[in-house]
Amino acid sequence: MSDAEKDFYQVYEVFSKKTDTAPLQYQFSLLAPNRELAFIMAKENFFRREQPADIWVVKRDDIRTMTQEEREGIKNLDKAYRETKGYGYLKKKWRKYEQEQLTEKDIMGGGNS
Amino acid sequence: MEAVYQQNIDHFMDRINNGEKIEADDWMPDDYREALIRLISMHGISEIMGALPEKEWVPKAPTLHRKLAIMAKVQDEMGHGQLLLRVAEDLMAPLGKNRDDIMKDLFSGRLKFHNVFHMEAPTWGDAGIIAWLVDGAAIISQTMMLGTSYGPYGRALKRICAEEVFHAQHGESIIMALAEGTEEQRELLQDALNRWWTSLLMFFGPKSKNETGHSNQDKNMQYKLRTKTNEQLRQEFLTKYVPRIWSLGLTIPDPTLRFDEEKSEWEYADPDWSEFKKIVTGNGPKSKERLALRVRSYEMNSWVREALGKRPQHI
Repeated sequence: MSDAEKDFYQVYEVFSKKTDTAPLQYQFSLLAPNRELAFIMAKENFFRREQPADIWVVKRDDIRTMTQEEREGIKNLDKAYRETKGYGYLKKKWRKYEQEQLTEKDIMGGGNS
Repeated sequence: MEAVYQQNIDHFMDRINNGEKIEADDWMPDDYREALIRLISMHGISEIMGALPEKEWVPKAPTLHRKLAIMAKVQDEMGHGQLLLRVAEDLMAPLGKNRDDIMKDLFSGRLKFHNVFHMEAPTWGDAGIIAWLVDGAAIISQTMMLGTSYGPYGRALKRICAEEVFHAQHGESIIMALAEGTEEQRELLQDALNRWWTSLLMFFGPKSKNETGHSNQDKNMQYKLRTKTNEQLRQEFLTKYVPRIWSLGLTIPDPTLRFDEEKSEWEYADPDWSEFKKIVTGNGPKSKERLALRVRSYEMNSWVREALGKRPQHI
């Protein structure tokens, strides 16, 4: 096989949205010789039944994904200080002062309670 | 060097045993990659070759509704082939191979496809039995692999299984109409069942390597590519379908078939595994014809692929 034949097909990744407000969701990949055909193939391959609000096709070469090392490295990071669960101990503290700890809802709601 | 390899393999097995999914670019042992390529390219090509016996029935479907439904099914099967070949070719890329190599392996007979797709489908009853029972058997083995350790295969199977539900119901609808039809229609259905029964038992493969000389079951289980043996799947199939077949008043062409309450398993006449081997190595009743059809359409459509591939003129 010549190089030209080998380069004929490119891998495209397909994403779609179910509704206008839904987040973009990964579907699958496909082989196509160019972007327009990738788009047509995406419709044929992944939306024979479902009606999508939008379809994106992206050449895989243009996407930077995580390597195995990066995925494994990020897995066990302790980020409790960035999340409410890191501040759960305050509940007990406030009780000592005969106060309820403000919940996420209370804080977000502007302190109505 | 050996110590590094051992470290890699230990880490890999830990990941698998922890239920993590392996991705295409992750480190994997060569025999894991080989097992996946063998399994997935065979599965993908079977989807494509499997569309051929059904496609024969598109122009001959008895009603417009049936024609639309069987056309949709044929299109789905080709779509499944596309998904699976994508998964296989990502695994083959590091070996310098691509989809063309899969097709060439199919044409040369090196790559095998499921025994059922080497068989004839002479009547509309066959179209019904294929969709009901062949797809029913395929669903049993595909859902078993949904939890496979290889991420991309699992994701492809999830899409495939969702569509198989429609296929199974399409099959049930055909056989139900025939079973509740005229005497002639019931005979058509019974004949088709007689033709397909042995192939259906063979579909799940031999119990062990004793029957055919080799088996990849153990390795595939160890690598969590599959979770059940061929025989477990066949037993599930029998439990699921035999009572339904009998309830329609059909006869299964195996007088020894019975459920052994004590052993809690089905007893059946073992198919002739040498015949199975003959079929899957390309010597079944329709093997050569279907392969020739595939080669011909691949060659005849090459100009279409080429024409569509021309880059559109951007303004």
